[in-house]
Formats: sequence, structure tokens, C-alpha cells
Amino acid sequence: MKRSVAERIADVRRLQHAARTAADDRATLVPAIVASTGLSTEGVELALRRHLELDATDEELTRLVERAGEVSRVSVVLSANVFVGALRALAMARAASSDVVVRPSRRDPVFAQALVAAAVAAGDRGLRLDDALEVAAVEVGEIHVYGRDDTIADVRARARVRVRGHGSGMGVAWVSEGAELAAAARALAEDIVVFDQRGCLSPRIAFVHGADARALAFGDALHAELERQARFVPRGSLPAEERAAAERYIATMTYACRALVGSQHAIGIAPPGAPLVLPPSYRHLHLAGCVSLAACAALLAPLAKGVVTVGSDDPAAARALAPPGARLAALGAMQRPRLDGPVDLREDA
Amino acid sequence: MAGAEPPESFDALAGDLARYQAAHSEGFARLCRARGVDLAAMTSADAIPPVPTDAFKLTRVSTFALEETTKTFRTSGTTMGARGEHFFRDVTTYEAAALAFGRHWLARDLTARVPVIVLGPSPAEAADSSLVHMCASFVQELGVPAPPDETFLIDADGVLDLATFDERVANALAQNQPMLVLGTSFAFVHFIDGLGQDTFRLPAGSRVMQTGGYKGRSREVPADVLRSDLARAFGLDRRAIVAEYGMTELSSQFYEQTLFEPAAPLGRYAEPPWARVVPVDPETLAPVLDGAVGIAKIIDLMNVDSAVAVLTQDQVRRVGGGFELLGRAPGAVPRGCSIAIEELLGR
Repeated sequence: MKRSVAERIADVRRLQHAARTAADDRATLVPAIVASTGLSTEGVELALRRHLELDATDEELTRLVERAGEVSRVSVVLSANVFVGALRALAMARAASSDVVVRPSRRDPVFAQALVAAAVAAGDRGLRLDDALEVAAVEVGEIHVYGRDDTIADVRARARVRVRGHGSGMGVAWVSEGAELAAAARALAEDIVVFDQRGCLSPRIAFVHGADARALAFGDALHAELERQARFVPRGSLPAEERAAAERYIATMTYACRALVGSQHAIGIAPPGAPLVLPPSYRHLHLAGCVSLAACAALLAPLAKGVVTVGSDDPAAARALAPPGARLAALGAMQRPRLDGPVDLREDA
Repeated sequence: MAGAEPPESFDALAGDLARYQAAHSEGFARLCRARGVDLAAMTSADAIPPVPTDAFKLTRVSTFALEETTKTFRTSGTTMGARGEHFFRDVTTYEAAALAFGRHWLARDLTARVPVIVLGPSPAEAADSSLVHMCASFVQELGVPAPPDETFLIDADGVLDLATFDERVANALAQNQPMLVLGTSFAFVHFIDGLGQDTFRLPAGSRVMQTGGYKGRSREVPADVLRSDLARAFGLDRRAIVAEYGMTELSSQFYEQTLFEPAAPLGRYAEPPWARVVPVDPETLAPVLDGAVGIAKIIDLMNVDSAVAVLTQDQVRRVGGGFELLGRAPGAVPRGCSIAIEELLGR
């Protein structure tokens, strides 16, 4: 049965309400998410408190519904993305269809399962879990798959229906000439700390407009701020391969210019004009000074395909720097995009 | 050469180089300080902090001023817009070392110059390739005189001049001369693909040196399959297909011993007396137990003016006095949807 836009928005709002209900059960939910994600308890609490997308305007949800399209059924294949991302994924699916089947991530199923359970308990008959969903057996509607590029490619290869893939990405930040460094550092640190930088909006590279000394000063401010924030929101457990990647990055940056190594983070400061390096996630940031936006854009060009969001204190600069379709955000809000469609809007661009 | 004792111990020479490099390279001095390494008290090469190959892409890994540079080798890959650079103020040491060890494992039995063919571009077309430079040295020292266009048989567009190759093989056959054929893995794959099931027999006693990865320039072929394909195509024994391992950031190379050591297994590489390959734990950089897999930390005493210890991204294992190459270490794949470097490069 075809639903009106208002009905589809209502279905999404019901899902948001279910997310609130699921998140309220902190005593059960938080330890389970800590165990499945490796985030710290405080990291999970922070994500639930500030990054679960419970508020959205009608205008934003109208946009989400438009972007979702309308199909007979959506089969959602979730991966171990940032755990609160399950809400947006299911909101997109529920906006698109009255019949949504969800296969949670095997590694990180907790929040998705809780969300679907809460929605069903609240009377949503259009949503169900299927842990054994086989993409090759899906014959109607479309598949929404979230995950790494190879996962998406694998699903595309096996699927017989349309596949909408939502892959990985990263955020970059631009600290403008007029930015107050301490405030910008505080805001950017918040973007880095949440989800331990494992989201596709997480800033991995930051540019500071101005002379090298300004980039160094910003690096020092960010270093102090990350250290401070780690006291309240400690980093979660670091897998062995990430520790190795971190060590390599730190050694490289130490040799090349400077590495500011904190108890739970590291900032690599690039030599002037040097090509960019993608640092590991888990609170590692590559920081480069840039004399102009044009110089920054040139440095960023080889990585532009991976940029999902650009954060800045200067919206015009962010717009100028952003590849087509990339989201724009204020520093400190890079990880809180409006619920107006998928996180990654580049497909629409 | 094998078994010859250097006049000073390897560790002493490595230590001297590390101290020299720390005194003349701010970056290396900084790395030593950050790692808490006391170079003055250091007695083992294992203690030298290795410079990751990534550093060669970001900054000048060098002990001398830019204007003293006479030669720059660059990596072929443009990882995120960056090519690693290795600067030399004098390449004679590099050339002497490359030739000495290359001759030892590829040509020590040859009593006269032989036709040398390079399935690669000429030095004029690839002046910044260390591999091409090394091959050119081999041509000059081991080869019968021949013009460059009859020696370096892949042009700037990557097209192999099969007709000239055929002609030189015919001449060598007529004169009963063994040949030395040098090339990259991807060039050989293109050659094999072009040949199909045909053969391209080389004179008896010929040998082939193949090196390098694929970097997306051809389909990828497992090492043992490529060896078999080349042996079949050239009509040679599999042991006459000798793999070489080297990289732009180093000044030394490593070879399989198959041509001259009947008992040497395929896939085991020998080090020259002036270089050591140490498998290390990727996180602690401590040497792993003998026989265990680690990341290759290479102590290269020929890297006089750059980095005496280099941290690669290749996995290796010590075996029987040499090492096995086990491919590139998989990059960390972050959990979540944060992009990994491999994904970014794959797009």
C-alpha cells in the first residue's frame, strides 16, 4: 500500500521513538555495546547521549523521505559501523518501504537488535530482523548495504535486485585564519573523540590556514584538548593491527616533522607542502598548515574521493573545499549530521 | 664472497652509520630521541630505530644538502599523490654493491660478456628508477655491447619490442651465448600473455631475473606460477628464474640462490654481507623469534647518506640463513566506516 509523505515521516518518527526507548535501557545496552564495539563505557554513553539522532525537523525528514525513494521492500545489511548509525540506516529503509528486513552486523548486532525490538514492541509491523538474510535470495525491492567497499562489491555481485551501497569515508577539517585556536581545538577534539574516530564522518586530516607556526600552535592546543577529553571519555581498546599502524604513523611523522603523542591519541604535523598521509583511526589526526584554500585543495585532491564531510569554523571555506556531495559542518558538529538522508550524500551529487 | 668476514663487524659499522646519520639528519635524531635510543652506547644494529618507508614520501631522508644531490630515485607508485624519493650525492657505492651481489647470484659462472636484455624502459626514459639504473649497470658490466634500443625493450608507452627481443635471441643462439634477461613481474606477465602457449626458447645457460610487484599494471600471478610460466616459455629450468627483492628506499638488493646453490629452496632470499633483513613485531619493532613472521626491518650499510635502518611494509620470515618474502603486510582495516588507506587507493 502506498504511503503518503506524512505517513512515511510518521514511520520514521516511530523509529526514533523506539531508539529513545532502546537507549533508555542503559544498564543492559551499554555493557553489551562496550563488549561488541570495543568502545569505552564513557564512549558508548557519549554516543547515546549526543549522537543518536533523535531530533529531526519535519523539513529534514521530508528530505530524508525524498532521498529514500519508495520500494516494495528494503533488505538492510548492516556492518559494524558506528553503532548509532543503525537508526539512520533503518530510518532510510523505513522511509522507503513498509516492509523492511534487517540483517544486523554479526560482530556488532546489539543496538540494531535493540532498536528493532523496541520498534516492534511499539507496534511497528513493517520491520523485522532476519539474521540469516541471504542477499542472493532477495527477489523484491532493494538492498541497502553498509560496510567496507569489498563488502558492498560482494553484495552487488550476488544480488538480483538493486543495491544501494553505503561505504566508508572520512572527514577533513579546515581551521580558518580567523579561528580562535583554543575553541577550534576543543571543538575538533570532540569530533575526534566520539566513536574513537571510527565513523565515516570522523576527521582524520585537519588543515590550519596560515604560517607553519600557527599549525604548530593549533597542534599543541589540540594535543592538550585531546588529553583533557580522554580523561572523561577514554579511548576504547585498540586492536593489535591498529597499534602497529599507529606506531608506524608516529615514527613516520616524528622523522618527517613532528608527532605529538598523547596517552590515547597522536597528532602528526606535516612538513610544509608535503603530500598528505592518511593516519590510522582511533584518535590520530594528520595536521597540515596551508597558506591558502587553493593550496589545501591541491593537497587534498588525491584523497577527495574519500571525503564525506568537511568541518570548519568558516562555512564558506568548507563549501569551497568540499568535494561534490560532501556534507558541511561546524567544528564540533561533524559527527552530528541532520537526519535528512544517508550520512554520505555524494551519491546524490 | 659468502662467508667472507668484513673488516669491522656489521653491528659496529651500522652503529657508526646511525651516529653519523643522527648527526646530519634532524629527522633521524628526533626519531632516536623519541624512541629513547642512546646511539653513543648502542652496540647492536637491532637497536637502531628504523625509518618507515612512508617517510621517504614526506620529507628528505638524507644527511646532505639538496644541492649536493647528483641522483634521485623515486618510487613508481604515487600513493595519494606522493612518490618516495631517495637522494644520492654519489651512486658509485650503490652501483658497486648492486653489481657485486647481482653478479654473485646471476652471473658468477659467466666467463665472458653475454647478451643482456631488459624488459623495461631505458635509463633515458626512466632516469629516476633505481631498478632501471641497476639494470643499466648490469648491462654495462656484464653485457656484450648493444645499442639501448636493442637492450631496453619496453618503450615509454609500455610496449614490448618483441621483434628485437627475437632478433637478439636468434643472434645469441647462433653464437651459442647464454643470455641474461632482466625484468619486472608485470612486464613478464605481459610477455607471457602475449606469447600464449607459444614458446620463446633462450639459449642454453640463460637465466632470468624477475623482480617487483604488480602495482595494478598487469594481472597478478602467484610467484610459483610466474616462475613456471617463464621457465616453460623460455625453455629454462625453474631454478634459472631468479627472483630479486629490492626497493627504492634501499641501496642493497636480495636474491634467490637457486641458480648456483642446488639445495637452496625456491623463494628463499640471500642477503649481501652488508645488509641484514630482520623480521620485527610491527608494534614493538622487536625482532620476532626465528622462523616467525614479522615486518622486514632492513639494515642496509649501503644506505650511507639516507637511512641505515628502514622499516618496510613487507612480511618476511627467516629461514635457513636467508629469508622468505611473504607479501605486503595487510593494512589495518578499521572497524566502523572510517576509511582505510587500501580503500582510498582502490577508488
